[in-house]
Amino acid sequence: MSDAQIHGYARALFEIARADGTLDEVEDELFRFARSYESSEELRNTLSDEQIPAEKRQAIIEDLLGGKATSTTTQLVSMVIGSGKARDLPAIVDVLVHRASSAKQLDVAEVRTAVPLTSDQQARLKAALENASGKTLNLKAVVDPSVVGGVVAMVGDDVFDDTVRTRIDQLKSRL
Amino acid sequence: MIAATFNLMSGEVLAAESVPNDGVGSTSLDPIWAPIEEIIIGGLASLIVFVMLYKFAWPAISKGMKDRTARIQNELDASAASRTKAEADAAGIRTSLGDVDGERSRLFAEADAQAASLLEEGRLRLTKEIEELEAKAAADIAAAAGRGADDLRVDIAHFSSRAIESSVIATLDSATQQELIESFISRIGSGQGVTS
Repeated sequence: MSDAQIHGYARALFEIARADGTLDEVEDELFRFARSYESSEELRNTLSDEQIPAEKRQAIIEDLLGGKATSTTTQLVSMVIGSGKARDLPAIVDVLVHRASSAKQLDVAEVRTAVPLTSDQQARLKAALENASGKTLNLKAVVDPSVVGGVVAMVGDDVFDDTVRTRIDQLKSRL
Repeated sequence: MIAATFNLMSGEVLAAESVPNDGVGSTSLDPIWAPIEEIIIGGLASLIVFVMLYKFAWPAISKGMKDRTARIQNELDASAASRTKAEADAAGIRTSLGDVDGERSRLFAEADAQAASLLEEGRLRLTKEIEELEAKAAADIAAAAGRGADDLRVDIAHFSSRAIESSVIATLDSATQQELIESFISRIGSGQGVTS
């Protein structure tokens, strides 16, 4: 799918969520779902398999998100999957998140940890990153077991990396 | 037998005395000499024959003799020329044989020189190839040893990495995870960002 189409889908989702008055929640839920989609090969293969009827794939979305996310989020994901754009879902969501953050004069800070951050940790980390980057941030926390331990934060082009994975990789390189 | 023959001839002569003169020819009774008329006529006839022969036959005979002499001389001259030519040819052949011998010697010498040169070149080439092969073998041995050492180092690094990763992951309990997160927040907050 071209960038124009990705931006078109993202704009459509953004407008729907904003019109529904649930932009912050929908944006956050879509972001989390996109990261889960990226990290799960089985989920990617299932939702992007066009041999499986669209209705069945949408039913899987209902099962996964029903009761755990807002109905708007579930319907938006179901719409994207049903239109055969599952492979582009992460890119669409990323554009949506940046669009939403821009609308609020915020920059996106994506933070990855091996274990979930508490609300307090997220607040302190957001403040610390805003202090370091000089920007007002929209913090997006992602649980990513591949980092093993520690935290990696990406604010625009800046990367704050203090993960165990990186240290292990550096040690491997030296070895 | 001689005696019998003599008796027969004597008998015939004695018997001739009784032969009558028939008036047509003359008959001599001399056992040795012919009648004189016959001698004269015969002599004249012989003389005429000799004159005629001298007059008419001798020039042709003389010419034939001269021609024969000239022909023989020509043949002798041709033979001499042939001999001279044969001798010249023989000399040429001998010269050629001499040249052949010289050429053969030259070719043999040249072949010997070429063989010696080839032998020397071959020896040098083989020596050089042997040296190169020895150098290559030494380099291969060194490279193989290096590869072995490199492979060993790679294996050690690989297993060490896996051991380190397993060990680190095994020690990362919840408290350590929280400690790492808090440490990160503190350093970012204090301006000691870990940026890559």
